[in-house]
Amino acid sequence: MTAEMAAAAASPEPAPTHWRAGALRLIVIYGAFFLAWSVVLVGTIHWQTLGYLDRVVGEILEQRAHYLASVEREHLPAMMAATDQLDLRGVMYFGLFDARGAYLSGTIDRAPDGLPADGQVHLLPNGVRATNGERNARALGVALILPGGDELVLARYTSVADRIGAMTRSAFFWALSLLLIPGLIGGFLLSRGPLKRVRGIEAAIAPITHGNLGVRLPLSPRRDEVDMLASIVNRMLDEVERLLGEVKGVTDNIAHDLRTPLTRLRTQLHRLQQSGGAEVHAALVERCIEDVDALLARFRALLRLSELEDLSRHSGFDTVDPAETLRRVQELYAPLAEEKGLTLALESDTLPPVSADAALLFEALSNLVDNAIKFTPAPGRVTLRARVEAAGPRIDVLDSGPGIPAGERDAVLRRFYHRSDDTGRGQADGSHGLGLSVVAAIAKLHGFCFEIGEGEHGGARMTLYCWPCSKAGARVG
Amino acid sequence: MARILTIEDDAVTAREIVAELSSAGNTVEHVGDGREGLHKALTGGYDAITLDRMLPGLDGLTLVTELRRAGVETPVLMISALSDVDARVRGLRAGGDDYLTKPFAPDEMAARVEVLLRRQRSAAVPTRLALGDLELDLIARRARRDGQVLELLPIEFRLLEFLMRNSNQVLTRTMIFEAVWGYHFDPGTNVIDVHIARLRRKVDGGDRPALIRTVRGSGYMIQAPE
Repeated sequence: MTAEMAAAAASPEPAPTHWRAGALRLIVIYGAFFLAWSVVLVGTIHWQTLGYLDRVVGEILEQRAHYLASVEREHLPAMMAATDQLDLRGVMYFGLFDARGAYLSGTIDRAPDGLPADGQVHLLPNGVRATNGERNARALGVALILPGGDELVLARYTSVADRIGAMTRSAFFWALSLLLIPGLIGGFLLSRGPLKRVRGIEAAIAPITHGNLGVRLPLSPRRDEVDMLASIVNRMLDEVERLLGEVKGVTDNIAHDLRTPLTRLRTQLHRLQQSGGAEVHAALVERCIEDVDALLARFRALLRLSELEDLSRHSGFDTVDPAETLRRVQELYAPLAEEKGLTLALESDTLPPVSADAALLFEALSNLVDNAIKFTPAPGRVTLRARVEAAGPRIDVLDSGPGIPAGERDAVLRRFYHRSDDTGRGQADGSHGLGLSVVAAIAKLHGFCFEIGEGEHGGARMTLYCWPCSKAGARVG
Repeated sequence: MARILTIEDDAVTAREIVAELSSAGNTVEHVGDGREGLHKALTGGYDAITLDRMLPGLDGLTLVTELRRAGVETPVLMISALSDVDARVRGLRAGGDDYLTKPFAPDEMAARVEVLLRRQRSAAVPTRLALGDLELDLIARRARRDGQVLELLPIEFRLLEFLMRNSNQVLTRTMIFEAVWGYHFDPGTNVIDVHIARLRRKVDGGDRPALIRTVRGSGYMIQAPE
């Protein structure tokens, strides 16, 4: 398990598709409501129209039936035939059957089943069978018993009503296409504009999230809702920038203000020491001076950190040979390690040059080695190891110390954090709890990735990858 | 006895500088204005100048640039509240010889002025340095003590060379780190002390009289035994 520290790449937001865009979503929701209401409306019209037509047909049938019933029995077949002649569309059917149901005359072949002879209009879902063998799908029928005992049946097909029903339905589908086609195309087009501008804002925000607070969101001349939102965010950024500037100013001022009296104190002590006195007195004064020097070093480091975090120092960037820097770091720290009973070993491949500030790279590596020496008990070993990987050089500082627990790896980067095994040691050995913060700041300034992990022998592993943390897959654990 | 010009507009800082440099036996003149300072620096024939970076009338950077353009090579210690590295680089590029950040410890300021004065006096590049029975051959990169060759690592030779060039002069750890290693940050812990201790074992080892002295609360000094 590792703790990433510097320049951790923010995982990008999933790119919004057109289907997620606000305008299109509104149109789809509106369309769904429109569709539901259209179904209810057209359905009502459909059923009311069909009901009305059925009623009209029923009335016609009833009138015909009562008229025919009033005609004398012997004239009835002729009257039925004459009426049939008038039915140009061929939607009316007549039938005369005897009391046993046998066909006497008319265009209906057989009295339909389930039609009571009560003089009322009834629906015949399966229609009637005509004498010419035709059968229609749906009809309305009426049957009544004549005074002589014969049964008169009249039927009228509902094809006209059915056609009107079909027309209503097709009108409904045309209306639906009117909604769907311009709605979807319009929604797609409408959503494109705002989406493009949101992408523009996303691009403008990227440098802000990387610490460049001077950037503002773009505004269009339209002054619409997106612009209103962008200008609100811009005002907020102005305020954040101002506050951060103030906080930084205050931090720097505190450091400066404290440094001045401490320096004066040190000066007084120095004078006192120069003025002579007992040996004990001098030793005491010397300890005071050492303490004050440690405090001053602490503030220097704080200011240094603030300076590094300003991300403003790129003037010192040049092509640097990391192997040479490592050799110089080893040269500086080997005596200190040896004095402590540790070995400071350098294992370096031939490394490609990197674009870096040589002095800052040296400072970062010095801090790592200094830290490793501090926390490794004797007898032990600190190894400076440089390897070439696909993405560039990788520098490890490994030690044989107790290592840093996984849970503490982020915390050790906090300013003035003291490790749990470091109680009270901070001041005595001159450490100020800022070394690793300085390394992280330098790594960030370079766009390098700094990582704390576990070495192969259980000690701490501090790794400086000379490439950004976000360069996916480039790092080999 | 050196003549030093202090160009500093802050009265308290100026008093500290004058007091510290005077106590080391120098004659110190103080001016608080940039234009007057430039005039004095051009005509006064001083041995060294301490120069505040931000001054009324004429700022320190312009002043030192003008001075160098006029061909005056008096060593200049620039003193500034601007601590960042770019400010240091600009100050040194303009013609400053050393750069010190405010607030500073007066003894460190005085030590830096001494180093500049020493450099001024030995303008000709020496090929050999000597202090008592310790000799440094700068061409052959060889050190001898009492005729015996000392086995020094390259870094130890550079360290000894810096001490010898500034013998009888207190050198702070920061000055040593800046001059020998060439970096301007706080190396922390006691890394410089360890290097000095190793050098001391080689130079002053055995029964030889000690040349490298620890100056309590300040730093180190190499000095011939009395």
